[in-house]
Parts: sequence; C-alpha cells; structure tokens
Amino acid sequence: MRRETQNILLVLLGGALLKMSFTGTYLRYVKPSHQWLLVAAGAVMILLAAVSIVRELRGETDLDGHGDHAHAARSAWLLILPVLAVFLVAPPALGSDSVGRAAGNRSAPPAASSTEGDGSALFPALPAGDPIALPLSEFSSRAAWDRAHSLDERTARLTGFVVQEGDDTYVARLAIACCAADAFPVKIELRGRELSNLPDDSWVEVLARLRPGTATRANEYVPAVSVQAVRSIPEPEDPYEH
Amino acid sequence: MTVTEEATEEAPPRRRRVTSLEVLCVLLVLALVGQSWLASALDVAAIKTGATVFVAVCAQALPFLVVGVLISGAIAAFLSADLLRRVLPKRAALAVPVAGVAGIALPNCECAAVPVARRLIQQDVPASVAVTFLLAAPAVNPIVLVATAVAFPGEPKMVLARFLGSMGTAVAMGWLWARFGKMEWFAERAMRRLPEHVDGRSRWAVFFETARQDLVDAGGFLVVGGLTAAVLNVVVPRSWIDTLGAQLVLGVVVMAVLAVVLALCSEADAFVVASLSTMPLLPRLVFLVVGPAIDIKLFALQAGTLGRRFAVRFAPLTFVVAIGCAVVAGVLVLGGVR
Repeated sequence: MRRETQNILLVLLGGALLKMSFTGTYLRYVKPSHQWLLVAAGAVMILLAAVSIVRELRGETDLDGHGDHAHAARSAWLLILPVLAVFLVAPPALGSDSVGRAAGNRSAPPAASSTEGDGSALFPALPAGDPIALPLSEFSSRAAWDRAHSLDERTARLTGFVVQEGDDTYVARLAIACCAADAFPVKIELRGRELSNLPDDSWVEVLARLRPGTATRANEYVPAVSVQAVRSIPEPEDPYEH
Repeated sequence: MTVTEEATEEAPPRRRRVTSLEVLCVLLVLALVGQSWLASALDVAAIKTGATVFVAVCAQALPFLVVGVLISGAIAAFLSADLLRRVLPKRAALAVPVAGVAGIALPNCECAAVPVARRLIQQDVPASVAVTFLLAAPAVNPIVLVATAVAFPGEPKMVLARFLGSMGTAVAMGWLWARFGKMEWFAERAMRRLPEHVDGRSRWAVFFETARQDLVDAGGFLVVGGLTAAVLNVVVPRSWIDTLGAQLVLGVVVMAVLAVVLALCSEADAFVVASLSTMPLLPRLVFLVVGPAIDIKLFALQAGTLGRRFAVRFAPLTFVVAIGCAVVAGVLVLGGVR
C-alpha cells in the first residue's frame, strides 16, 4: 500500500475517533472517562499522517523507502473497517439482545467486611426521598443481599430499556467496567401491570416497589417489583451503568 | 461488516497502474452509495451486537496502541542501541527480571507493549528481555493492580497473587526464551534495523516515521483481533460459565480459554471475574493472569508485528506457563482453592 493511502486511512481513522468523542456516541462503546483518550489518540493519528504528508510534499522520503513494506502493509486495509463502522453504520448501544444472551443477574454478593457466610451484607442507609432514583445494579444487589431490607416499603424510580421474555416483561440495563465488550446485564421483572405491548429496547422510567424475597439463587437473583407507573423516555445520553 | 470485507477482497491492490489510492477511493464511494443497503444488511440483532462490540474494542484499544507507537518511535529515535546495552545487565539471566520490573513503571495496555517490544529487539536488546517486557508491562502495572484491588475489595491477597502470577509468567517466559528461543522465528521486517541518525532534525523524522509506520501495521492487526473478539462475544454464550460451579480443574481450563477468547483489556478483566461469584477464587485468578499475557487480539498483533512463526510458538507456551504460574501463585498466596 502506498504511503499516501496509509496517510488517508490514518486521517479517516483519527477523524472517526474525534467524531465519536465530540458527538457523544463514544458513550455507546466505552466509559465516559475514556473521552479525552479518544480525542488525544485521534489528534495524534492525524498529526502523524500530516507530518508524513508534508514530508512527502517536500520530497523527503529518504528514511522509509518504498516497496519493502508491501507485505506488512496489506493488513492496513483493515483500518477501513472501523472507519466505515463509525461513519456509516454507527452501531447502537447494546440492548435486549445482549440481555438475552446472559442467564440472569450475575450480581456478586458485596465483598464488604460485614458480609456474612451466606453473602448477605449491611448496605449503607438509603437517602431520603420518595420515589428514590436508583441504578438498576444497585437496586438488584440490595434486593438480593441487603440484610437490613432497605428497599422494603420504598418506592424506587428505575430507568432502563424493556426486555420481553416469554410472558414476562423486564426493565434492564447493561453495566460496563471499561468498554462494551465487558458489559453485563442487570434486569428486574415488572409485575402487576399488563406491559406486553411495550416493544423491546424502548426506554422507560418505572416507579415500582420491590416484592421482598423474589431475588433468589433459583432465579439467578433477578428481583421482581410491583409496578405503580411506567413512562416512556428517550434513550439517555449514557446508556450504561458503571 | 460482511460487505466491506467482500469489497476488500475484490480490491486488486497490486495490479499494475491501479494504485491503492484509487482502490481506496472506489471503496469509499461504494460504501457511501451503498450505505442504506449496508445499514439494512446489518439490521439483525446478533450482528448489531457484534458490530457494537467491534467498535468498542477498537475505541478501547486504539488510544493505548497510539501510546505504544509513540514510545516505540521515541525508543527508535532517541535511545541508541549503545545506551540500552549499557543500561541492561550483560547476562540474560539478570536482564530478564530487570525487564519484568521495568514493566511496572510503564503503565500501558497489552496492545501498546507489542510495538515497544519489537522496537527493543531492533535496538539490539536481547529477545528474552523484550519478551519479558511484552508480558510484564500490561499485567503488573499500578493501574491494573489498583483495578484488581477495587474489584475484589474483600480479598487483598488477590492483588498479590495476580502480581506474582503475572510476574512469574513474564520472567519464566524470558528465561525459557533465553535458553531455547531462536532469532529466525521473528519475521525479517521485525528485525530490520533503522539507520542511525545523528542530527536533531532527522531524529524527529525517525520518530514520526516509525510511529506512523508502527501504527499502520499494528492497527490493521488490532482490527483483526477486534473482529474475532466481537464474533466470539456473540457466539460463545456466557451463561455456561455459571453452570461450572465447583468443578475445579474444568473451571481452571475453561476460565483460561475464556480469557483468551474474550480478549478483555487488563484494567477491566478484574471487574468481570469479580462478578462470577459462584466460582472459586483460583480459576478466577487464572483468568486474570492468562488474559493480559495472551488473548486472541494479542495473538493477531504478535503474528503481524513479530512474525507468524514466532506467534505460533510463543502463544501456546505462554498459555501453559501462565496457567502454571497462576495456579502456583494461587496456592501459595490464597492458601488453596477457596
């Protein structure tokens, strides 16, 4: 591959990284703190290509020599795949398909010093407020492991997307540690209302109360809630929990 | 994804008078014209999930690869082979542990370590030392160890066990290479020396040109790794991990294979295994030690950057040594299976 082509590919790839970090779509793929890394990487790519282009124009090509990179550079064609993926396809955030691939909530018992042999633990008290907004991951681990039953008698506001499995309706969200490749799903079963008309992957805000004792080892720690109200909302800017 | 792959195969990169530049233009125009068709072809749930994971792996790894090629360019331009020879101990037996410790100081991800290792070899550093650095840098740096401590708050020994397991793997592989390794396994282009430049201006030229060339070379292989990881992420059902439960030997083997297949970055893998609460600690430690040493994305990078003959020997041996070191470290530090 010629150096000019390599440089154009580098500019395109750097541009793709800059585009996703400035338009906010990077949140579909990586954690928020990764933004400045993407900006820096995109800028460096464009800089490296620009330096090479300028040197080319000035006729300084003494270092590299042409030709003997032929084999190594064939792989460089693949750089076009992420470029096309970002500019033309822009894959959406992970959704109900990923939830269906996992069995249940792989929520670990909290590894705090107060953990008992059965994995139960004392969580810090919930702040006041009614309803109280909680991430799905925190709600489900409190439902499964909190010895003080802090969720009982509390109305929670849960934000996530709809997953229909068989006759059951769930609200779900994916939690990521680093990037979407390590995402794991958290889901909560919605009961007490007929919700089968909600399409998969539509975002909702649910007001609900935990049905105590529903998150058990047998059902992979998926808690069930009694729904009080459901409201459709647009997809949040950051689709993941962290 | 399928569409562009087909298009790449059709492209005749070396036919006379058709330069790669024109091929690229045609490809881009085709992709633009076929955008809506492309989007609808990808509108299948599994493919969408795969595409998202692919872009995620690329977006996650590319910044670290950029750091790696900048370090690699700096070594090529500003660290002479003479200087490196003077700094490192003469005997490989001693130089290998030094390289392992140097890995602590350079916090970077596994993708960054590959171009740096190649550059070290080009600058006349013994291959055993470069190999040790390649394995140590992504696994024992402070960022990874802190992430492990955060992911296992009740198990501080997990951090020590991970450190010892990874360091053991790196040093053992370095010594094994010093004893049995052959330089001809490396691809010729991995060994090619750069001309020594003296004046300041051309040093910068060397820096920019090597960094750019490394980025183009390694970037393509990173894309191969990202594609593979995306396909496996969709095809391998993660749910079967949970059914393993207390099957210890099976658990160790499966977690080691999973570490290779999932290709997670080393600062995130601890959070993933921490959530597998039904599994004993030892198989989870194996996952943490094997993952940064060898995975599918890293194998693609090594094969492309250092040579296929090197990678097919190095990767399986690393896999076995890493499992061994992880089990030993686990038994010693964690005091058994748990």
